[in-house]
Amino acid sequence: MDNTMQEGLDLKLKKPYHHKRKVKLTAKDVVFNIINYLIFGLFALICFFPFYYLFINTVSSTESVARGIVNFYPVDFTLQHYKDMFAIGDLGQAFFITISRAVIGTALMVAASAFCGYLMTKNEMWNKKFWYRFLIITMYFNAGLIPGYTNMLMLGLTDNYLGYIIPAIVQPFNIILVKTYVESIPAELEESAFMDGAGYWTIFTRIIWPLSKPILATIAIFGAVGHWNSFMDSMINMQNSPNLQTLQHKLYIWLNQSSNLGAVIGSSHSSSDLENIVDQLNSGKIIKYTIAMVTVLPILVVYPWMQKYFEKGIMLGAVKG
Amino acid sequence: MAKKVEVSNGWTDKIYYVTRISLLFSVILVFFSEFNPARIFTQMNKNVSLLTAALSYNRLVINIKYEINHNYIFKSDIYSLMIASGLMVVGIIAMAAAACVSLGNLKMKRISNYITVAGAALGLGGVVKMFMTYNLYKSIDDEIAGTVGFNMAVDRVPLALYMMLGFAILQLLCAVMLIFLQPKPAKDMKCEMISSYKLFLMFLPFIILAFLFSYLPLYGWRYAFFDYKSGPGNLTLDSFVGFKWFQSLIDNPMTRNDIIRVLKNTLIMSGLGIGTSWFAMAFAIFLSEIKNGPFRRVVQVFTTIPNFISWVLVYAIAFAIFSNEGFINNLMSIITGTEQHRLFLMEDTGLHLKMLLWGVWKGIGWSAIVYIAGISGIDQQLYEAATVDGAGRFQKMWHVTLPGLLPTYSVMLLLAVAGILSNGMDQYLVFSNANTKDALEVLDLYVYTLGIGAGKIPLSTVIGMLKTLVSVVLLFMANGISKTVRGESII
Repeated sequence: MDNTMQEGLDLKLKKPYHHKRKVKLTAKDVVFNIINYLIFGLFALICFFPFYYLFINTVSSTESVARGIVNFYPVDFTLQHYKDMFAIGDLGQAFFITISRAVIGTALMVAASAFCGYLMTKNEMWNKKFWYRFLIITMYFNAGLIPGYTNMLMLGLTDNYLGYIIPAIVQPFNIILVKTYVESIPAELEESAFMDGAGYWTIFTRIIWPLSKPILATIAIFGAVGHWNSFMDSMINMQNSPNLQTLQHKLYIWLNQSSNLGAVIGSSHSSSDLENIVDQLNSGKIIKYTIAMVTVLPILVVYPWMQKYFEKGIMLGAVKG
Repeated sequence: MAKKVEVSNGWTDKIYYVTRISLLFSVILVFFSEFNPARIFTQMNKNVSLLTAALSYNRLVINIKYEINHNYIFKSDIYSLMIASGLMVVGIIAMAAAACVSLGNLKMKRISNYITVAGAALGLGGVVKMFMTYNLYKSIDDEIAGTVGFNMAVDRVPLALYMMLGFAILQLLCAVMLIFLQPKPAKDMKCEMISSYKLFLMFLPFIILAFLFSYLPLYGWRYAFFDYKSGPGNLTLDSFVGFKWFQSLIDNPMTRNDIIRVLKNTLIMSGLGIGTSWFAMAFAIFLSEIKNGPFRRVVQVFTTIPNFISWVLVYAIAFAIFSNEGFINNLMSIITGTEQHRLFLMEDTGLHLKMLLWGVWKGIGWSAIVYIAGISGIDQQLYEAATVDGAGRFQKMWHVTLPGLLPTYSVMLLLAVAGILSNGMDQYLVFSNANTKDALEVLDLYVYTLGIGAGKIPLSTVIGMLKTLVSVVLLFMANGISKTVRGESII
């Protein structure tokens, strides 16, 4: 698989793939094409529409959303919900936590992966094979959720901001990606620098780092998306620190309040109360949509531009198999 | 690259093996809470390691707040305890640094000896300070034990404190011995180290990180063999119970039923996932039949986006579309003309299938990428030859494209089979509610609700442990199959 995949990668980078077809389209082909286009078009729509639906609801007035008429386009355009959302105190904190961990965590992870990936190409390292395996084998076992938690407890990383950063620095998979990439850099470059008296660190910063930028961009995006999306570590390790909760965790909490509000309505009998609660529920619903929209927005905006990096990453990973 | 040769300094170099190996044991003193030299009070949190004791006042006093508030234990003594712990930790770090430096040439070895002496002195200072604090409270205990009714200090000096003492003395002795016995370096000698050690030292921090977060958690498996107590942010091992918790998996009818239900859910979900894993391949094959470049790219972008949002966001979307007043209900209202309030997310029918569909919605575009790459790697001449032989479009898809992708597919399939017990818990957690809980609880989620939710740490550790062991065995089996059938390993 390795070779075909590598060639496939090269081919793909040069030009998108097309069959060379000399045969004229038959009626059967036309029908097939129409169905094929329709199915893929429909599926793309199913993938895209929910985001659009979230968006139009967040920019429509509460009243029109409550009447259920915001389905395909915004009604009574307003940005009030976004203002309301930022008035909720602890969301700003969650934003700060999530953005800062994405930036710091990703930067450290990329630097570490780059350096380790470079070191792992150095066969003269003491017991290199052993240490490489020591690192890589961690991808294939996992002590489990609770031992992981008790370990964090033992190391004092629960309810601690560093608990987001430090455990995510060493990522074996990313190290493999960088190692594979660095191996493709001509060895002569390094050797001539070495002859000129450059040490490992100089070679790394002056030659390897600049030349590996494509793969580093790839793992940076993987890392940043991972940090942005993570909520389990916030739920498990930061149980007693609401001010350390990530945005996704906050969103999860908000989404779950719906069922509580629903329960309140079910048990309430007084009609004036009910109206009041329905009002709250409606604006609460839009606030939920708004938080979700803000949470998903960075990914929606960044993603189309980054897709080629993602693809390159997964293909290099597949090459390693 | 040229290699420098290590110069031997005779038998004195052998002494470094003693210091280095003893240093490895000191790691136990720093990180393992059972071997914390600083645990000199009976009521102190048993889950605090020496490192934590040195860094966090709050964790140190978590269980002795009562004694502090009643002035049985003075705050200043807690601080001196922290200082003593800090001295020991800094001492050990210094000795570790010295051990790293000692990998260099004679000049560096000389330097490392002095660092070791300094580190050992710091460590000894910490030990002495700790002894003093301990003795103070021991004597107070002797005087007022009758009136207070309990002992503040532990009965005997913690074994780990003696270990620390012995360790520091050993290091000190070795370093002093080396200072006197080692040959003197030439005056013009420069600090140098052979590249193999230099590279190793550069890599060492990452080895330590991997150890801390991937290997050290295995030490948490000990919870499976103990009773325990828990408090806020705090777990304490109580007494060794052997295989009691393993036994209870089978003996306790409630747990047994839970396990059977959870395993059923897990296997159904994994089975559905494996059974539909060819969807991604079909997706790639049919997508590659679309010749319109821009359309194909748009489809690819839109279908891969869901992979990059978290399950919480997927649930937010499910909420927006399927909830009480979501899109579908609005649409139904418009179509039928009456108010529709169907609670799709609360329904407990066909849940496994729904979860599968969400999984496909989220993952298929992304899983297809590897096959799309595979298709572009298929030799074009095969298609041309097939065309010459009169093969139609479907024949080419079936006889050329599909066989070209099967090797990749078989790897993915084997990996999926190896991961049959690991569905991840995010998806099932976010979609769980009172109605859907029973059908959605997969093994990973069960471990979470049991351990974090219900606080049954040992039982959930047992389950997690068994799951890990089975998964590793499955992975090796899958790898073995791959090796015999394809002649290539997958890990």
